[in-house]
Amino acid sequence: MKYFPLITIPLTIFAGIHLLGDRRFLIIAGLVLIQAMLPIIVLFEGRKPPARVLVTMATLCAIAVAGRIAFFMLPQFKPMLALVIISGTALGKEKGFLIGAATIIVSNMFFGQGPWTPWQMFALGSIGYVAGVIFYEKKIRRIPLAIYGALAAIIIYGGIMNPASVLMFQPQPTAEMFILAYATGFPFDAVHAVATVVFLLLTARPMLEKIERMKVKYGDV
Amino acid sequence: MHRDAFSTYHPLVNLAFFVSVIGFAMFLLHPVALGISFVCAAGYVLCIKGKKALRFGLIFMLPMLLFTAAMNPLFNHQGVTIVAFLPNGNPVTREAIIYGIAAAIMLITVITWFACVNAILTGDKMVYLFGRVAPALSLILSMSLRFVPRFIAQAKIISNAQKALGRKTSPFKILSMLVSWALENAIETADSMKARGYGLPNRTAFSIFTFTQRDALALLFFALNIAVILAGVAAGAYRFRYFPDIQGEWTGAGTLAVFTAYFLLCAFPLFLHVKEALYWKRTASVI
Repeated sequence: MKYFPLITIPLTIFAGIHLLGDRRFLIIAGLVLIQAMLPIIVLFEGRKPPARVLVTMATLCAIAVAGRIAFFMLPQFKPMLALVIISGTALGKEKGFLIGAATIIVSNMFFGQGPWTPWQMFALGSIGYVAGVIFYEKKIRRIPLAIYGALAAIIIYGGIMNPASVLMFQPQPTAEMFILAYATGFPFDAVHAVATVVFLLLTARPMLEKIERMKVKYGDV
Repeated sequence: MHRDAFSTYHPLVNLAFFVSVIGFAMFLLHPVALGISFVCAAGYVLCIKGKKALRFGLIFMLPMLLFTAAMNPLFNHQGVTIVAFLPNGNPVTREAIIYGIAAAIMLITVITWFACVNAILTGDKMVYLFGRVAPALSLILSMSLRFVPRFIAQAKIISNAQKALGRKTSPFKILSMLVSWALENAIETADSMKARGYGLPNRTAFSIFTFTQRDALALLFFALNIAVILAGVAAGAYRFRYFPDIQGEWTGAGTLAVFTAYFLLCAFPLFLHVKEALYWKRTASVI
């Protein structure tokens, strides 16, 4: 199951390019998105996670959503990405991914779901996942965390959401459209990156200490 | 605003409707199909949201429409009817302009359908639907949905307590206290869940949604219309191309059947809404 998508995703891309007609890029991208997210969810469900894990994850997710609500009047200046990075760092890659994806679903219940929801889920989930891969169970320093936060905002989040806007709304995408989408999206991504760095520098240490304290006090969460 | 009739259907019916309608809106780019979907989506959102939807449409969607419509002819140079040349020598074609307008209408149609999704497929319904396939994830969703207002209320309590102690506490400090409290609260909640038997087999779910005959009929109605549309597309009755020149089926029995089925599908909640409104008016006038 874990390595299943490594085979099916290239197959999907290959079959899609050769078989499908109009809007094939959107279909392919949608299928790839599903195949990338499904195994993590299935593996997580299959393990029947205990209540403590679930409630802790829900709590971190709710803190991130509350952060987005608290900063709703500043476009792109959101603590959500920073909090998902912290979650991935503290709990590992799989939970990091799920907290990121769940944060998007819940926060979009307040701000509006759209065709962007699955892309955002994948983008924020990946950021939590990569944070888990790099920082989980390692000695944490703030500077590498902040650097990762800036790169994640621009490369992962912007890197997924900018082309996604072209794929969703331009039935015949061209290379120039993608370049234009990156160019117009960059100022927003830059603000997002600055916000993520600021929130990571301010909150990463106390947040991680608090979660660490929970682990010491109550065992594995 | 009185209650919308379609939102009283089973969440599965709501989901099936929106998935099929949004899917078709993204892929059926025939001008007539675009028109059908847009008119139904706009009509429905006006019914359930009223003036607010109209204002949103004019402020946000109109610029988006113009931007998307303009982007296409600037970057897409296919098409045989050349209207003008760009400064860099690339041609602007009539086909690309029309295609840009079609893409823009597709975009606002999808967004309008999602505005309906947000009004109809509320948080509890989404959690219910998720719970069928991914119980753990759905529990995370429903709990964090509950925690958000709870944390905001708790932040107020902490801030009041600090004020009562005569301290000037920074918002950042309050957030820190809130997080400590929230994590402790999480463990307490989890232990309490465990004590009440969470994770044991034969778990029942709290659900106020029952699948009735009415829901089954609605699903059948969707399935029939979707079958007609897909059969029409497969048989070539629905054919339209923008490039290199604009060509497509406009009339013909098969084409009209596809459009009729598409209209019946898209307008389903609108029909229900209008029917309920008329019924209400009639009963009210009898009283």
